[in-house]
Amino acid sequence: MVQFKPGREVVVAGVGLHPFGRFPERDLASLARDAVTEALVDGGIKWSDIPVAYFGHVYYQGMSIGETALSALGLTGIPIINVENACSSGSTAFWQAYWGVTTGMFDLALAFGAEKVPSGPVTVTASESPERYIGSDHMMAGYALRMRRYMEETGATDRSLAQVAVKARQNATLNPFAHRNEIYTIEEVLESRLIADPLTLFQCCPTSEGSAAAVLCAKESLKKYGIDEERSISISAAVLRSGNYNGRGSDHSAFSPYRTEPAAIEAYQSSNINPEEVDLVQVHDASTIGELQQLESLHLIEKGEAWKATESGRTALNGDIPTNTDGGLLAMGHPFGATGIRMIHETVTQLRQEAGDRQVNGRHGSPSSGPKIGLAQCSGAGDVTTVHILSK
Amino acid sequence: MANNSTGIAQSVDPSRLELTDNTGTQGVLRGHRCKSCNVSVFGLATFCQSCTSNDLEPIQLDKQGTLYSYTVVRVPPREWPGRVPYTLGEVELPEGPHVLAEVIECAYSDIKIGMQMDLAIELVSIPENNRVISVYKWKPS
Repeated sequence: MVQFKPGREVVVAGVGLHPFGRFPERDLASLARDAVTEALVDGGIKWSDIPVAYFGHVYYQGMSIGETALSALGLTGIPIINVENACSSGSTAFWQAYWGVTTGMFDLALAFGAEKVPSGPVTVTASESPERYIGSDHMMAGYALRMRRYMEETGATDRSLAQVAVKARQNATLNPFAHRNEIYTIEEVLESRLIADPLTLFQCCPTSEGSAAAVLCAKESLKKYGIDEERSISISAAVLRSGNYNGRGSDHSAFSPYRTEPAAIEAYQSSNINPEEVDLVQVHDASTIGELQQLESLHLIEKGEAWKATESGRTALNGDIPTNTDGGLLAMGHPFGATGIRMIHETVTQLRQEAGDRQVNGRHGSPSSGPKIGLAQCSGAGDVTTVHILSK
Repeated sequence: MANNSTGIAQSVDPSRLELTDNTGTQGVLRGHRCKSCNVSVFGLATFCQSCTSNDLEPIQLDKQGTLYSYTVVRVPPREWPGRVPYTLGEVELPEGPHVLAEVIECAYSDIKIGMQMDLAIELVSIPENNRVISVYKWKPS
């Protein structure tokens, strides 16, 4: 099950985040640059020390945008790789940075992501693909299929699904970076416009713009680069997988709602961390059903029970499995390339106990010691899934 | 896909839907079965998706399946040439694969998970490129 052997310990040394929302006057490269400079400042890291950079983004807005974004920081001639893995492009960039540092290829690495997602339904195939005419290429319709089946099999109520969205908005009111922070009631969520029933508008993440960045460093190299060890957060697991055979087919994400499970098992095994030890979790809640099925895939909640856990408040900030503590995709919004690294930013911020009003203690932390272990799970079309575990 | 200026209907995806006559409304769903492990998939396959064997044979999939899930899409994606709203159904075939397609000839109040569905084929006009293609759909048995 564990496919790759980590080498030396790697930490997240700096993180940066540009607010998510709509910024028509900003281009992609400038959004990306803001997050990168913030990450460098956050970690006290010199741009001239960075030997490699991975940039996650999806939509074509010119070639080599990673290079364009970083050129204003100084042309140091380093390898810059543009990474696309649908919604998990940012996590994939982060994964690549981690494995390069842990195996000793480089001491430091920058992973950053940015996106300006156009409005309207998200499709994954190219123009004039058969799926457009068959009617199957519709991201939220796929989630709706999963939701209806889940409700049929588990008895989950409309209201419990809507509660996921309500929680997301509540968390977002405590987060100045969020795209959407108007509070809604369960009724307002259920009565919002139907996209693909039973999914209503407020149960789907908004299309957004934004960026995030993280600088990774070998723990043993922190001193050499003058980076503060106190605020660095260890990376205990970094797993990226594509789909395994699932019995239904590989041509649609709706067929594999639990595809994160093998990745989760690999992450727990390789880090020797049990699900019970996870204090907080960020998961891919592109829609409300997404959050529930990811929590179950990650073995944080039993299969079929995540809707009840939501209703009873276990996934709220003061619950025992705080989930999507910054508002998640649902309320932060989902600029594809940025999302995976936004999850890292939130996990790091929480483990550093710098999350202010939305700070969690988790099941093992206490107000004085704070959470110790955070998990970030990010998916992408094409049956991609990533699981990263960070620890203090 | 070739231009159908001859007037003969073209399949939306010949690797998945094979038309069996010139009307464009008769056809079969295609797939592949692995002779090593017996897994069947819908559409193309080079190696078995489950066991990676290359001992595959092309097969015709069943024309009937069970409705596994459905949704009514009210905000369609770009380039959807059909009805709005439309019902997207996920049908489980006896061979294993699930097939997504529009559900037609079924009132919303009649749709139930578990109901039997039959393969149907409709001719669809594509405004952007003036083509008429045959698209597979599901209808109640």
